[in-house]
Amino acid sequence: MVDNIGADDGCIKEQDRLLPIANVGRIMKQILPPNAKVSKEAKETMQECVSEFIGFVTGEASEKCRKERRKTVNGDDICCAMETLGFDDYADPLRRYLHRYRDLEGDKPNQQKAMNNSSESNSVEQSWSYRNTQQYKNDQGLTSTSANF
Amino acid sequence: MRQPGMYSGMLSGLSGKTGPHSLPLARIKKIMKKSGDDVKMISGEAPIVFSKACELFIEELTRRSWTTTMQGKRRTLHKDDVVSAVVATDIFDFLVNLVSEPPNAADEDAPGGTSDTEH
Repeated sequence: MVDNIGADDGCIKEQDRLLPIANVGRIMKQILPPNAKVSKEAKETMQECVSEFIGFVTGEASEKCRKERRKTVNGDDICCAMETLGFDDYADPLRRYLHRYRDLEGDKPNQQKAMNNSSESNSVEQSWSYRNTQQYKNDQGLTSTSANF
Repeated sequence: MRQPGMYSGMLSGLSGKTGPHSLPLARIKKIMKKSGDDVKMISGEAPIVFSKACELFIEELTRRSWTTTMQGKRRTLHKDDVVSAVVATDIFDFLVNLVSEPPNAADEDAPGGTSDTEH
């Protein structure tokens, strides 16, 4: 189904604006008792709410970056935005998740994967974000490859 | 429908250890970009954090909605239950206008909404 919602940008199709209903429905079902059912309309409403949630938090994170004169929204910005907007309960689990992800990625910080993400960040942002990760690694007693500050 | 797997494929190709994400990262990134003109660059980890955040969000909103469903002694979670949960929860204030809108976007399949298909 292809439809133009025509709200902000007439070129955005519905399927691009929302997360897939199957994924959303699955997460809903996982939290409910086995005999629970979820109406299609409820799933659609949830899709809309999630997209709004993403936009809401991203806007806050983006504003933080703008004030700090950074161009790239990173994981820490998302976590901070959660706290600012009242989603305190999410912030700690997300930070743990983020640090675990960074840990699994090894010594190379995410921003230094610019070879794949070259259009996504500039070198200044790489340095700043790498410093964050470097500090984290130091805190953990891990060493890392030298940063190109 | 196959998701544009370029972005998520990149991430899983890099580490292979982060595991499958329950929500498509490329789609999350698109939605992030759409949120504002000043959102230009997004780090690779941001959609991954969001995939987890969205899970937490869906879980919380679903849990709260289900409370209303049970109060009505029903076993099927309806849109109205979601609306009730949004209205009753302070941090979901940003959703109040969204769920109170007339069902234009969500209503293409079943105008009138008399019969919700149960899955």
